Amino acid sequence: MCLLTTCEEGGSPVGSSTFLHDTWWVCWRELKHFAGQKVRIVMMLVQPVIWLTLMGNMFERMAMVPGFPAKSYLDFMAPGIIVMVTLFGGIFGGLSVVWDRRLGFLQKMLAAPISRSAVVMGKMFAVAVQTAVQGSIIFVLARLLGVGFAAGPWGFLFLIALAMLLSLVFAGISLSLSAVLTTHEALMAVVNFMTMPLMFSSNAMMPLDMMPRWLRAVARVNPLSYAINPMRSLFLSGWNWQELAGGGLMLLLCASVMTLVASALFERSMA
Amino acid sequence: MNVAIETDNLSKTYGMGIKAVDGVSFSVAAGEIFGFLGPNGAGKSTTIMMLTTLIRPTSGTAKVMGIDVVRDPQGVRKTIGYVSQDIAVDENLTGRENLRLQAEFYHVPRSQIGERIREVLKMVDLEDRADDLVSSYSGGMRKRLDIAEGLLHRPKVLFLDEPTLGLDIQTRRRIWDYVRRLRDEHGLTIFVTTHYMEEADSLCDRIAIIDHGKIVAEGSPEGLKKALGGDVISLKVRNSAGEICGDGVGRVIEKMPFVQRAIAESDGIFTVIVRDGEKAVPRLLSSLSESGITVDSITLKRASLDDVFLHYTGRELREDGGKSEFHRMRTALRRARK
Ligand SMILES: Nc1ncnc2c1ncn2[C@@H]1O[C@H](COP(=O)(O)OP(=O)(O)OP(=O)(O)O)[C@@H](O)[C@H]1O
Ligand SMILES: [Mg+2]
Repeated sequence: MCLLTTCEEGGSPVGSSTFLHDTWWVCWRELKHFAGQKVRIVMMLVQPVIWLTLMGNMFERMAMVPGFPAKSYLDFMAPGIIVMVTLFGGIFGGLSVVWDRRLGFLQKMLAAPISRSAVVMGKMFAVAVQTAVQGSIIFVLARLLGVGFAAGPWGFLFLIALAMLLSLVFAGISLSLSAVLTTHEALMAVVNFMTMPLMFSSNAMMPLDMMPRWLRAVARVNPLSYAINPMRSLFLSGWNWQELAGGGLMLLLCASVMTLVASALFERSMA
Repeated sequence: MNVAIETDNLSKTYGMGIKAVDGVSFSVAAGEIFGFLGPNGAGKSTTIMMLTTLIRPTSGTAKVMGIDVVRDPQGVRKTIGYVSQDIAVDENLTGRENLRLQAEFYHVPRSQIGERIREVLKMVDLEDRADDLVSSYSGGMRKRLDIAEGLLHRPKVLFLDEPTLGLDIQTRRRIWDYVRRLRDEHGLTIFVTTHYMEEADSLCDRIAIIDHGKIVAEGSPEGLKKALGGDVISLKVRNSAGEICGDGVGRVIEKMPFVQRAIAESDGIFTVIVRDGEKAVPRLLSSLSESGITVDSITLKRASLDDVFLHYTGRELREDGGKSEFHRMRTALRRARK
């Protein structure tokens, strides 16, 4: 019976196409999980509405302060919300590894002839796709709420690309941590410790000029700024190339470095 | 003889100095079904995880189909299948999706995927439920799906860690039939751990018994049973005052010339291994009554693999009796609480 041939005789794809194939199937699984979580998808719609309406109203008056960089606080905040959601989506990416490890599924993948990097990159890419979906939802909702967007349709694509790069950075950090921290609790503790300070020491919600001087100094080196500044310029002023190229390249660099770090840590920690 | 698995002094020490596997050497011929038996915590899963490249040996070497597990793990992964002790199926996917994923991870040619999936689904009797989410499966169904995944890509060497634990007899039999067929038709080599002794007895060509990380016996089930001496007497005794007897009686029994070994099962019940059962029973009875010990019941049977297992891993009749066991448990508990 020709059916009963071993996998080797069956001929397997080789080289980089194998890598892409493996990465895709790891990613496919994550996306299936994502699509199966009905409650989470509903919350993804509801949450930004709440953020945008509530926060937009709460801080409306801030826009009246002379020198405020946008017409309304909502205009100012919309890219901030996208960045925030991206940060959270990315930084919790490592949880799926901890979960897989506990269920034995990670071991199953690691015993298969797929590279560790494919596991890492499949999971990272799935996070980036989810970010693209979430970012688009927020964008549409913000537009419906009257937020202006200066850069046009191509600007929207650029915006989503920036969000995806940022999510790769944080997914990389999270996956790196998950290679070292094997329990759910430890990973959550470290991640929670990182997110809030990152968020509030950035100019996501408040213009630099309105911060105390020391915080302004922190915000300038906060990696979130690399995403917020170009995103905000897409919303408020259109194609500000200097901002876009600077932020975009920096994010690309950080995302690549984190991908390499996460892959290396995976390679090392699991035989 | 083609060697499929070969280990030399394979050892694994976990953190805190736990020697889970301690200098294990064995070899498994291609096409052989090799049983790895041992009590809980003996080091079976740890050995399998080293052979499947999931953990790195602390020392020693292991080769699968001639490929070193440390030097070329990817090469090993391509030739093996692994069904772990944990039921590692994805609850959020359907059974068919789980199998599809497995087929893709092992690079099964696209044209064969559908056919292979149908075949293994039939083998584990999950055709009707294949398109339901695994979260709606019972424990046994999940285990069956997991085994189906391990067989899907037709590995050259298959590692099964407690594959039939918790399954009903029918399913167990069907899985073993399929495994045996794969072996007979395609020379698949199988390394299996199990707690079911009858299964190991009827299925395995050869077995090794591991205890405290060391192999204590190795051979064919027949050979091991023969080496044990053949016959097993179980007896329940008490002394003339009607009290239950302890290890003292065990020592008395073991001193009798025709007795090879006496194992205290629980207070008053002993398993005695003798060479020639029919002749030994009357002699044992008269010797015991001479020592003022009453026999409540006695049975004689041929040695089974259970007895072999007990012989090599069971409690020894030593001066301290059950104390060492108790002591170990207590230190383990204390350690766990910390
Ligand atoms: N990750 C680990 N860290 C520390 N010790 C471990 C780890 N995994 C196993 N051990 C220890 O190694 C020893 C052997 O464990 P192993 O899982 O190999 O046993 P086993 O023979 O498969 O047992 P069982 O029949 O219960 O499955 C045990 O003492 C166990 O406590
Ligand atoms: Mg085990």
